[in-house]
Amino acid sequence: MAQLRKRGLIAAVVCSDTFMKLGAAQAKVFGVPDLPLLRIPHPLGGLSIDKVRERAEVALLQLLKVVKEKQS
Amino acid sequence: MTPLATMLQAPGALVECDDDPEAVFELLCAKGWSDGLPVIPPTPERVERMLAYCDRDIEAPIVKIPPRYGAATPIRVAANAVMAGCKPNYFPLVLLALEAMAEEQYNLYGTQATTHPCTPMLIFNGPVAKEVGINAGNNAMGNYFRANAAIGRAVRLALVNIGAAIPGVGDMATAGTPAKFTFCVAENEDASPWEPLHVELGFPQEASTVTVVAAEGPHNVNDHESLTAEGILVMVAGTMAITGSNNAYYDGQPVLAFGPEHAATVAGDGMSKAEVKRWLFDRASLPMSKFSKEGIERRFRRKRADKFANAPLDTPVRMVGKPEDLIVIVTGGAGKHSQYVPTFGNTRAATRVLKRADGQVVKSIHDLRRA
Repeated sequence: MAQLRKRGLIAAVVCSDTFMKLGAAQAKVFGVPDLPLLRIPHPLGGLSIDKVRERAEVALLQLLKVVKEKQS
Repeated sequence: MTPLATMLQAPGALVECDDDPEAVFELLCAKGWSDGLPVIPPTPERVERMLAYCDRDIEAPIVKIPPRYGAATPIRVAANAVMAGCKPNYFPLVLLALEAMAEEQYNLYGTQATTHPCTPMLIFNGPVAKEVGINAGNNAMGNYFRANAAIGRAVRLALVNIGAAIPGVGDMATAGTPAKFTFCVAENEDASPWEPLHVELGFPQEASTVTVVAAEGPHNVNDHESLTAEGILVMVAGTMAITGSNNAYYDGQPVLAFGPEHAATVAGDGMSKAEVKRWLFDRASLPMSKFSKEGIERRFRRKRADKFANAPLDTPVRMVGKPEDLIVIVTGGAGKHSQYVPTFGNTRAATRVLKRADGQVVKSIHDLRRA
């Protein structure tokens, strides 16, 4: 993702809230501190498919915002 | 001026503190540069003494330790070795372990950041382990012996202080393991009826090696009753075959550390290490029906569809992917106990041989002392 971002493509990483600190630290380490992190509620593992869909919707709204910002 | 003295002239390179053990400990804890236990203050003089056993460029990284990807240069690792309580002649073994963990198959990033409770298990073979005093006898995986305690601890401190394996930020372990303070053993080669691990892997007997395994803490196998190889291996297989192990899902390399008495019984019945591995590959398994309904549907039927998509419920789930993936050593002292060490799973063990910078295999730790 860091490489894609550096090439100017739209790139983002889905992070559950517990992993946001790790995600932000990694983005910084890889030289893309502004890499968008799409925050979803923890956990992601051990969920029913309906709960996974809910999280996908949460992430999708944030992704659309990232895409719109990039286009504008 | 030494390279260390030059480096310490850079702004911020030297941290000053009252010359008092409690003040030093408070400072290091406040900065997050500790494992929570008191440390030896890494003064420039002590770091210099540690570097006396380093024959390579002290500023050239051994590995960049994730998740921070901090450069583990000998000079930085030496500071951590001082903090851990290492004698200077332990230091080459700390560097060797980090070198091994740098190998891609070990998956240092994954093992650092995972929620699983894994930590580097360091298995030393060859004459140098004995020379520096790594305990391979009674309580080999326990406390009391300085070399075991300090070498493993130095590696762990480097993972935290250089790699930023900070709980909840860079080390996401759900509960972790007490083995994260230190997990360093030597094989009890004198008490083993088989060839030691490094010889099995193709290294000369006189070479010294470390094998690093991304391991859980040890699980005990108590067997005071069995009189035969088969009896002991039945008990080992039962200890290995557990539903909560990552090795049920990934082809990792778990470790079976026989106590010498169990090893003698098994070898006394004529079994080689290869035969032990084959036997346990076949029998250290659980029928898929022992896993939860969701686990069967979501893990085995889908994620491991190649083997289990339409498999009957009595299909065995094995704890090793192939017989040779089981690492077998002998360690410890008297008693009817062995240890089984499951792993992170998504990792392979890595073995490195101790060499001088010129490529010569080290016969004695003194070969690495600077002139």
